[in-house]
Amino acid sequence: MNPQMKKTGSLLLSLTLLGTVLAACGGNSDNNGNSQASPSGSPSSSGSASPSAGGDAAKPDTSKKVELVWYLLGDASSESAKVNAEFNKLLEKDLNTTVKFNFTTWNDWQTKYNLLLASGEKIDMLFASTWADYYKFANQGAFLPLDDLLPKYAPETWNKVPQQDWTEATVKGKIYAVPATYPEYTPDGLVYREDWRQELNLPEIKDLDTLEAYLDGVKKAKPDVTPINGKAWNEAYTLFKSYSGYEQIGGDSGVVVAKSYDAPRDIVAYPFTDEFEAWVKRMKTWADKGFWTSDSLASQKEAGDAIKVGTGAVYWRNAPGAGGYITDMEKNKPDIKMGYFPFTRFHNYAMPTLSVNNAMAIPKSAPNPERTLMVLDKLRNDPKYYDLLTYGIEGTHYSIADDGKSIVKPPKGMEGKKDFKGYDIASWGWRIESMSREKQAAGWTGFDALLAEFKAESKPNIFSPVLLDYAPVKSQQAAVNQVFEQYGKPLMMGLVKDPDKSLATFRDQLKKAGVDKIVDYIKTEASKYYDEKGIQ
Amino acid sequence: MSGLFREIRKNKVLVLMILPALLFFVLFSYAPMVGVYFAFTNFSFDGGLFKSPFVGMDNFKFLFESGTLWNLTKNTILYNIAFILIGNVLQVMSAVFLSELPGRWFKKTSQSIMFLPFFVSFVLVGAFVFNLFSTNNGLVNTLLEQLGMQPYDFYMHTAPWKYIIVFFSVWKGLGYGTVIYLAAIMSISDEYHEAAKIDGANIFQRIRFITIPMLVPTFILLILLSLGGILKGQFDLFYQIIGNNGMLFDSTDVIDTYVFRALAVNFDIGMGTAAGLYQSFFGLALVLTVNYIIRRTRDDYALF
Repeated sequence: MNPQMKKTGSLLLSLTLLGTVLAACGGNSDNNGNSQASPSGSPSSSGSASPSAGGDAAKPDTSKKVELVWYLLGDASSESAKVNAEFNKLLEKDLNTTVKFNFTTWNDWQTKYNLLLASGEKIDMLFASTWADYYKFANQGAFLPLDDLLPKYAPETWNKVPQQDWTEATVKGKIYAVPATYPEYTPDGLVYREDWRQELNLPEIKDLDTLEAYLDGVKKAKPDVTPINGKAWNEAYTLFKSYSGYEQIGGDSGVVVAKSYDAPRDIVAYPFTDEFEAWVKRMKTWADKGFWTSDSLASQKEAGDAIKVGTGAVYWRNAPGAGGYITDMEKNKPDIKMGYFPFTRFHNYAMPTLSVNNAMAIPKSAPNPERTLMVLDKLRNDPKYYDLLTYGIEGTHYSIADDGKSIVKPPKGMEGKKDFKGYDIASWGWRIESMSREKQAAGWTGFDALLAEFKAESKPNIFSPVLLDYAPVKSQQAAVNQVFEQYGKPLMMGLVKDPDKSLATFRDQLKKAGVDKIVDYIKTEASKYYDEKGIQ
Repeated sequence: MSGLFREIRKNKVLVLMILPALLFFVLFSYAPMVGVYFAFTNFSFDGGLFKSPFVGMDNFKFLFESGTLWNLTKNTILYNIAFILIGNVLQVMSAVFLSELPGRWFKKTSQSIMFLPFFVSFVLVGAFVFNLFSTNNGLVNTLLEQLGMQPYDFYMHTAPWKYIIVFFSVWKGLGYGTVIYLAAIMSISDEYHEAAKIDGANIFQRIRFITIPMLVPTFILLILLSLGGILKGQFDLFYQIIGNNGMLFDSTDVIDTYVFRALAVNFDIGMGTAAGLYQSFFGLALVLTVNYIIRRTRDDYALF
C-alpha cells in the first residue's frame, strides 16, 4: 500500500468510528428520554389535571389538544377516512382529541405487530389478544399497567367490565389491557357439503368414523373432487387436537399438552403417546385415499375456495367463522347446501374464550395514555361513538332495521346500487355484546342452536390463562418448533412413505431438540397456576 | 492527525463528493451495527438495547441445539456456489454472445426479455413453480399424462428441487448480470479487436484471447462481492418455492429458512440477531480468506 492509500484508510476509519460514537450517543439519549418520559409523564399530566379538578372533581383536564395514534389489525376500509373524520369531529368536541387509525393489514401482521412494540413507536393504543401473544408481551413489559389509570380516566368501563374479565387480563398482579365485553365460543369444526351427503346417502357426521365415511364416499363418487382441496393442514391439525382431547396450555404450547380436560396436570409431549401413533397411521390411510393432495403442504389455496367452485367438500372454520362462510355461500351460491360439524362433539364440552381474546392495550411508549383511555371509555359506553366507529355513518353505510336494534347493510334506499361502498373495521378490541347491532356468526340461522349447545356443556377455560413465556427454554422451543415443521407436519398429514420410520425420526429429533426440558418447564408453571387456583 | 486534516483541506472538493456515500454507509450500515449487541442479551421492553440483561452466548444455542446446523451450512454454501458459478458463467456467455451479435434490434429485444425475470417477485415465481409441478393440475404432470407417462409426485421427492431452485435463481439473475458484463465488454477498446482482425484471428479466437481475459477482473470482483453473502442465501427464493413443506427440507433448507421457521412462532430479537451475526461473521471470514488467496496470486484483482 502506498502512503496515500494509508491516509485515506485512516480517514475512512476515523470517520466511521466517529459515526458509531455519534450513533451510540443518539441511541443512548433516546433511551434516556424514553425512560424518563414514562415516570415523569403521568405525574406532570396528573399535575396539570389537579388544578382544574378543583372545579370539577370528576372530569380530567382536556384543555390541551391531543392527537392519538391507534393501531388495529386487518385492513383499512375504503370508507375508513370518511368515518374517521366524523369520529374525530365528535371527539374534538367532547374531549379535544383526535385519533389517527393505523392498520397492520393481514399480510405478515404478526411480524409488524412485534416490530411496532419492539421499536417503541409512538402508539397510544393497539389491539391486543391472547392469539397475538398478549400474555407474553405483558410479561415482557411491552404494555403499560393500567390499574391506577383505569378508575380515573375510564371510570365507566372500570365499573362495567366484570371482575372475572379483569382477572383474565391480569399478568403478575397488574392489568395490562381493557378486554372487550363479548363472550364467545370459538371451537373448531368443519363445514361440509351437506347436499352431497344427502345425495350420496352418506351417514350423518357425528364422530371420526362417520367423517371418514363421508370423505370416502365423496372421494369415490366424485373423482374430480378432492374432499379437502388446497392447504389441508388446519383441517388435519384441529381435527387431531379435538379428537384426541389434548389441551394446549397457555395459548399455543406446540407439542406439549395436557392429556385431557379432566387431567390438567398430566402434561406430556403428545408425539410420544400411543394415541398419536395410531393417529398418524390412520392419517396415512386418509392421505393415500386422496382426502387431500400430496402437495397440500405446498399449496396456498384455501380449501373453502375450492368448495365454491365445486372441487372441494370440507373446510375448517371455528363456529362463528363457519356462520360467516355459510351465510356467504347462501347468498352467492344458493344451490350449494352446507352443514357444520363442531369438534366439541368428540368430547362434549366447550370452553368460552378468555376476555382478553380481544382487547385494547396501551404500549409502554404511549405519549398520552390518559387521553387514550378517556377515548376508549367514550367509545365503549356512548352508542353514538360505538355505532359510528364500528358500523360507519348511518344512512351511508347502514340503517337501523325496523326492530330499532339491528342494522341493515346496505342502508335503505341504497340496495343494489353500484355506488354503495361498505364500511368495515376490525372492531373486536372494543366490542360489547349489549351494544352490538350485529348477530354473532353473521346471523347464520344454525348458530343459535349451536350456541345453546355450547353453553349447556360449557366448562371454564383453565388452560389458556397459564402464563408461559418460555424464557428458560427458548432455545429448545425454537429447535422444537422447527423439528415440528420439518418432521411433524408431513407425518400428521400422512404424507410420508413409512409412518413407523418417520415417527421414530420425529421422536428422535424432538428428544435431540430438548423437548423434555419444555415439558418440565410447562409442568412446573402449570402446577403453580393450578395450585394457586385450586385446580386438581 | 495534522496530516489527515491537510489531506482533507487539499482535496476539499473530492471529500465533499464522497461525503454523501460515506454518510449513507455510516447511517445505514455502521450505525445499525450497534444492534449486534442484541445477540448477547435477553431482550425486554423495559431494558431496550442497552439495559436488557446480558446472557453471553445463550442466544446462539438454538442454532446448535438440534444438531442440524452443519447440514444447513452445507446446503447454504453449496446452493450459493451453484448460484454464483453457474450464474456468472452463463452471464458471461450471454454477454459475449450479445456483444458479438450484429443486429441492433434483435440484441435490444433479447436483452430486454432476459432482463424481465429480474422484476418478477419471488411470490409470483413461487406461484409459477406450484402451478408447474403440482401433483394434480400441474403443467408438467398434465403433460406427462398426455404423453401416456406416469405422473411424478414432485412434492414427495427431494431430488428434483435442487435443480429447480438453481434454475430459477439463475433464470432470475441472468439479465441483470449480463448487463454488467456487457458494460465491461463495451469498455474494451476496439483497437484490440481490430489489431487481432488484421492478424487474421477469427471470432472465436478473439473471444478466447481478448474478451474473456479482459472480463476476468470483473468476474473476480463480482464473485468476491457475492461471497460475502454466501451464508445469507436468498430467503425469498427458498421460502416462496418450498414454503413450509417439511418433506423437502433435507435438501432445500438453508440457514435463513431454518431461522425463520424456528423463530416465526416465538418472535425473539436476541436469537434472530444471533443467527444474523453467525451468517455475517462467516461471510466476512470467507471474503477475507478468498481475498487473501487472490492477493497472493493475482494482486491486481484483489478487492483490498
